[in-house]
Amino acid sequence: MIDGDDAVSSRKDAVSSRKTGAAPRTRRTLKTAANAVLAAWAAAACGNGSGGAGDADGVVKVGAVFDLTGPTADVGTDYANGMTAYVEWANARGGIEGRQIDLISQDYAYRVDRAEQLYRQFVGEGVVAFMGWGTGDTEALQTRVAEDQIPFSSASLSHRLGDPTQAPYNFLVATSYSDQFRIALDWIARDWAARSSSAGVADGPKVALLHNASPFGLSPARQGGADYARERGIDLSLHEMARAAVDYTAEFSRIRQSGAQYVVIQNTSGPAAVALRDARNMGMEQTFVCLNWCANALLVRLAGEAAEGVLGTIPFAPLSVDVPGTRVVREHLEATGRSAEGRTNAFTQGWWTLAVFAEAMRNVLASGEALTGPAVKEALESFREFDMGGATVPLTFTPDNHRGAKGLRIFRVEDGTWTPFTEFLQAPPWTPEAPDP
Amino acid sequence: MMLGCGVFHTRYASAMGLRPRPAERLRLGAFAAAVLAFPFVADPYWLDLANQVAIATVGAVGLNILVGYTGQISLGQGAFMAVGAYGSALLTLKAGLPWGASIPLACLAAAAAGTFFGLPSLRLKGLYLAVATLAAQEIAEWTVTHWTALTGGTEAVVAPAPRLFGRRLNDPFAFYWLGAAAAAGTALFAANLFRSRAGRAFVAIRDQDVAAGVMGVNVFRSKLAAFATSSFFVGLAGALVAYYRNIVTWERFTLETSVIYLAMVIVGGLGTIRGSFFGAALITLLPALVANAGRALQDAAPGLAARLPYAQQAVFGLVIILFLVFEPKGLSKLWCNAKDYFHVWPFAYRRGEDRAT
Repeated sequence: MIDGDDAVSSRKDAVSSRKTGAAPRTRRTLKTAANAVLAAWAAAACGNGSGGAGDADGVVKVGAVFDLTGPTADVGTDYANGMTAYVEWANARGGIEGRQIDLISQDYAYRVDRAEQLYRQFVGEGVVAFMGWGTGDTEALQTRVAEDQIPFSSASLSHRLGDPTQAPYNFLVATSYSDQFRIALDWIARDWAARSSSAGVADGPKVALLHNASPFGLSPARQGGADYARERGIDLSLHEMARAAVDYTAEFSRIRQSGAQYVVIQNTSGPAAVALRDARNMGMEQTFVCLNWCANALLVRLAGEAAEGVLGTIPFAPLSVDVPGTRVVREHLEATGRSAEGRTNAFTQGWWTLAVFAEAMRNVLASGEALTGPAVKEALESFREFDMGGATVPLTFTPDNHRGAKGLRIFRVEDGTWTPFTEFLQAPPWTPEAPDP
Repeated sequence: MMLGCGVFHTRYASAMGLRPRPAERLRLGAFAAAVLAFPFVADPYWLDLANQVAIATVGAVGLNILVGYTGQISLGQGAFMAVGAYGSALLTLKAGLPWGASIPLACLAAAAAGTFFGLPSLRLKGLYLAVATLAAQEIAEWTVTHWTALTGGTEAVVAPAPRLFGRRLNDPFAFYWLGAAAAAGTALFAANLFRSRAGRAFVAIRDQDVAAGVMGVNVFRSKLAAFATSSFFVGLAGALVAYYRNIVTWERFTLETSVIYLAMVIVGGLGTIRGSFFGAALITLLPALVANAGRALQDAAPGLAARLPYAQQAVFGLVIILFLVFEPKGLSKLWCNAKDYFHVWPFAYRRGEDRAT
């Protein structure tokens, strides 16, 4: 008992001495906190100080949001690296008509509100064009972009964003998800015809679209894919991939029940790799086709053996494919002491997306006009069969079409490398039917 | 109640006022003046941040009514914001209501949703209630993304721009006044609520619900009222987001949103209106400030550039942890400490540690 009391009293002492000690410590903490806040504030003021028109002689400012830490960072990082590498490359060659490119970029962790903040901040600093990323934030910004007259490239290849009546300042440099999906469906229909004629089957193919639970995931089917499948006699079923899931066996059980012979995946590499591994473990026999953001080297690295034989609709060639459009990227990397090894095709895509906008700005400056949003838009809209060195199909923008590329090559994973599997294929047209149920 | 030294009230009304001391009124006046002057000196970027803070404040005060004052944990913040946002946007789009009418209706809808999902609070407390409200969040997300006919599913809903006397209200400058008015109105309502019988019943339930019941508080009705009141303001925050951003997507109202709002009220200080302001401001501005500091660093030390995004995330987490370690009662208590320090400055005398805040 006595010991117990002692223990209590000594603990009390400890508490009270901590209390008396608390006064200077609290004060110090307050002071440090105040200093930190002031420092951040001052830095913010500096960072935000020199707002002005992008057309002042000197640098050409381009804004960008990248996902380096968020859920799509798996592919977002290489896309960002591709853009910064292009800026280095172009600036070493005198920039745009003698003016250096200043790429103002920040990580936004795939948060819509962060993208809005950064967009507002960068526009205040005088950017003339903006490189976006996700579907959610691109859609959230589309009206604002049109009001501010800032040409906007989105890595989100949602078909709708390429319609100038809805999004007049958005430009799709790569093939839209819908076009990619229809190219895949067209290939599937032909592949099935060849397979079934030998087997004597009359039914059309059954295709399962395994998609991310978001506008990005549904975009291929909603914007033309479902209608086109109906036209071609393809039985299409949609299967949602739960966000942040570590297991897709339930989805594959349903796909097995649906009797699908082909599975198209619309997601980023991480979840797609998990799905491919699950499929292999379950002994799924289907042919797998990855659209844009999961058809890359990262998928092969993550899925390993399970990625073997997977097809991919890849708008921009991976650096392992030797064409002039990838050679320039590879040479730049080697010249700056880096390796092209392990870079995904998102790297090529980032490089060429910014390169297209830089080309438009070069045209504006070369014609002696002022570098403004509308001028850059007009220059982009006069692109006819712009060649990107075989990295993708030639690009054409017109005032009523902002989907620059309509075709791509299908690649196939062979011995762990994406290898060209077809020639360049054009997206087949479709007739829109009744709106989605 | 603590009375200031040298302040003598001659009427009960003045003693029981919201701001009984002259110094408090002075500070409030200075704050109001700063708020009124701010849009005339700030550029659109800072105005945009201020608007985000204003919206977050409305949502945080709303959540604080439930979590801080009534002691009912809720993870359904994102869900109730979604009801407010989709409600107001769809009421103007599909029912053709003017925006001014759609906002209160959407808030009422959010309050109804809050009341419904608050029903389990009769039986559940603490972590169990948190899980029940988590269900609300998941149900709302699922409904919004799958009820295609109403919400457009995962596609965005474009809310028409609000107009007042022919001027569009969703540019940063014009919206600032709407946001500031909403935040001020919410704060005023909440401050007065907790001087009323209903509000004190909320606090009694938080402190000891059985005792509150014995004292004659209808515990169930009060809990539901707390859910309804809280969700009403949370819905208001959602509706403001919809009209400010013009576009409503489900990605804004995920579980992450709920957690971030909880962080706001906890970091700011549970059960204080002032804390909601501090918390909303800190959690909204901190990523922007850290990013700007990072950019300044980037120019000074280019080698760091590749690691900065990760460092920024770490700093964000670290700052929140440090604030809580050094002052578990939140920023609101830090503010009180600072006030106390200057109260008798430059003399060393300090008031007791346990002074009620």
